[in-house]
Amino acid sequence: MRRLWDSDLWRFARLRPAVVFGLCVIIVNLCLAAVGPAIAPYPTQAPAGNSLIPPNGTYWFGTDVSGMDIFSRVLAAPRIDLTIALVSTVIAFVCGVALGVVSGFFAQGERPGRIASTLIMRIADIVQAFPMFVFALALVGLSGPSAKNVIIALAFLNIPFFLRLTRSAVLQVRSKTFVEAAICAGNSRLRAAFFHVMPNALAPAMVHFSTTVGFSILLTAGLSFVGAGVPPPTPELGLMIQVGAQNMITGQWWTALFPGLCLAVTVLAFSLFGDNLRIFLDPTNRR
Amino acid sequence: MRRFALFAGKRLLFTIPQLFAVSVIVFFLIRLLPGDPSYMLAGPYASPQRVQEVRRSLGLDQPIITQYVRYLERLSQGDFGTSWRTSQPVLSDIRERLPATLELVVGAVLLSVVIGIPLGVAVATSRGGVLERLVFFYGMLAGSLPDFWIGLLLILIFFYFLGWAPAPVGQLDFAVSSPDHITGAYVIDALLTGNGPAFWSACAQLVLPLATLVLVYMPLVLKTARSAMEEMLYSGFVLQARASGLPRWMQIRYALRNALPPVITVIGIEFWFLLGGAVLVETIFAWGGLGQYAVESVINSDYAPLQAVVLVTAVFTTIVFLIVDILYYLIDPRISV
Repeated sequence: MRRLWDSDLWRFARLRPAVVFGLCVIIVNLCLAAVGPAIAPYPTQAPAGNSLIPPNGTYWFGTDVSGMDIFSRVLAAPRIDLTIALVSTVIAFVCGVALGVVSGFFAQGERPGRIASTLIMRIADIVQAFPMFVFALALVGLSGPSAKNVIIALAFLNIPFFLRLTRSAVLQVRSKTFVEAAICAGNSRLRAAFFHVMPNALAPAMVHFSTTVGFSILLTAGLSFVGAGVPPPTPELGLMIQVGAQNMITGQWWTALFPGLCLAVTVLAFSLFGDNLRIFLDPTNRR
Repeated sequence: MRRFALFAGKRLLFTIPQLFAVSVIVFFLIRLLPGDPSYMLAGPYASPQRVQEVRRSLGLDQPIITQYVRYLERLSQGDFGTSWRTSQPVLSDIRERLPATLELVVGAVLLSVVIGIPLGVAVATSRGGVLERLVFFYGMLAGSLPDFWIGLLLILIFFYFLGWAPAPVGQLDFAVSSPDHITGAYVIDALLTGNGPAFWSACAQLVLPLATLVLVYMPLVLKTARSAMEEMLYSGFVLQARASGLPRWMQIRYALRNALPPVITVIGIEFWFLLGGAVLVETIFAWGGLGQYAVESVINSDYAPLQAVVLVTAVFTTIVFLIVDILYYLIDPRISV
């Protein structure tokens, strides 16, 4: 415990309230993803009272148009939102890093490797030529709205980001002498790439991980908001905002305000944590 | 000048394979999924004859290369298929809706630039004030605010509570008839034809969606402008200028010129992102643009328009990145192709 208190990371965090805030929100979200639906005071997918009750002692965040308790649904939402975001980001991370290592390691060298490396980069270029939200909308729309298809679409769209980050890190590590030594010692090129270079080139992708989770939550909510995400009445933040949107215009402000606030705070926490992790790990920023 | 022509020419040539690659992706998008594309493109309530017709025009009995060549042929004739929902050719649907989206996106990008760059420069030149703290907190929010939720909040505050903004019913109020068609963007058309009521109504309707987009996406420009400016203000050439006794505004001018390349890149990225991101804001304000068209198509399983919207936005992105690269070169001729 004493060592944790004295560690660089903790000293850095104490100076930056944003890190503490981000970490707290992330932990709360993870806990809610685990137990949220169980601790919700009312059913999360069925009416709990009258339609459109303003927030009060019984219904803390009020009820929506079909009488479902908004507070309970907000508690239950991280399970679906966070799961989609985490799973898709893990897939994007693994695929992106693997492709990044291959394309970075073989960027210089023999012909077949070089061609593969260029090919990977060109494909990434093309995927990123499409505006992200429209592409996600099309992918999910064509394959049918479901949590699984949202995960696949988001993973696919996030791969190029991890790929580029890893590739540029690999290009730097690749020229170090220890890589040459590893190959001279009889390691195959692939082994050298994945066992010797990759561990030293993971940092940028890992730092990007947190930001991507936040961004994926935002995209998931956005897709559900327009009806191309998880199907209703799943307790999901984007869906809840969508249900509340009509009521917002006629003055029932609580219907979309609370889910949206949760969404904004969650995404903000992940992106702040990611940003600060990058600053912490960046050697030029050390004082 | 010759060097510039060479650069622009090479860059332009490079766009051609890019556009082909985009068309290949869009072509395969619908074919890689389970299900017969002719049923998907004809729509759920199509008659067997209609399905046959679509099947013939797609050439599904032909090898895949022939199908792709046919697809390109149809594209070059402006044939994007027919929307079963509006029962109109997709091209005319898109022509109707694209100006509305561009009005929103271009407006938001322009405003972000006009506000973001001066604000970024102001913060960079006067460090340690209240402004810096405010901008710091605002910049932290960049990219993490749900634009559709911010839009709803603005509607709640400015339409419901304060009554300043008109009801979010689209590009014009219900009572106002649309101006004569010139560009398709109502604000510009009304201005060109001198149609006062339409102009004011269109402007009033434009305020909230634009404000939403600027509020959510401006921090990106602001943050980049600020950090690039800060870096430049402490670089050798500005210190030299200061040591030589040049006035402050000239130092800033020197610094700004060299701080612009990263800002231009970010503007390009913002444009790229907004072409997709505007979808949500359009939905909230019933904007009737390309984004809303895409959403309605998804909900109604209307795949021909969806395919076309993906293609059109990707082509626009490619053009935007082309312009960004050319601007980049004009500002910093040191870069090469």
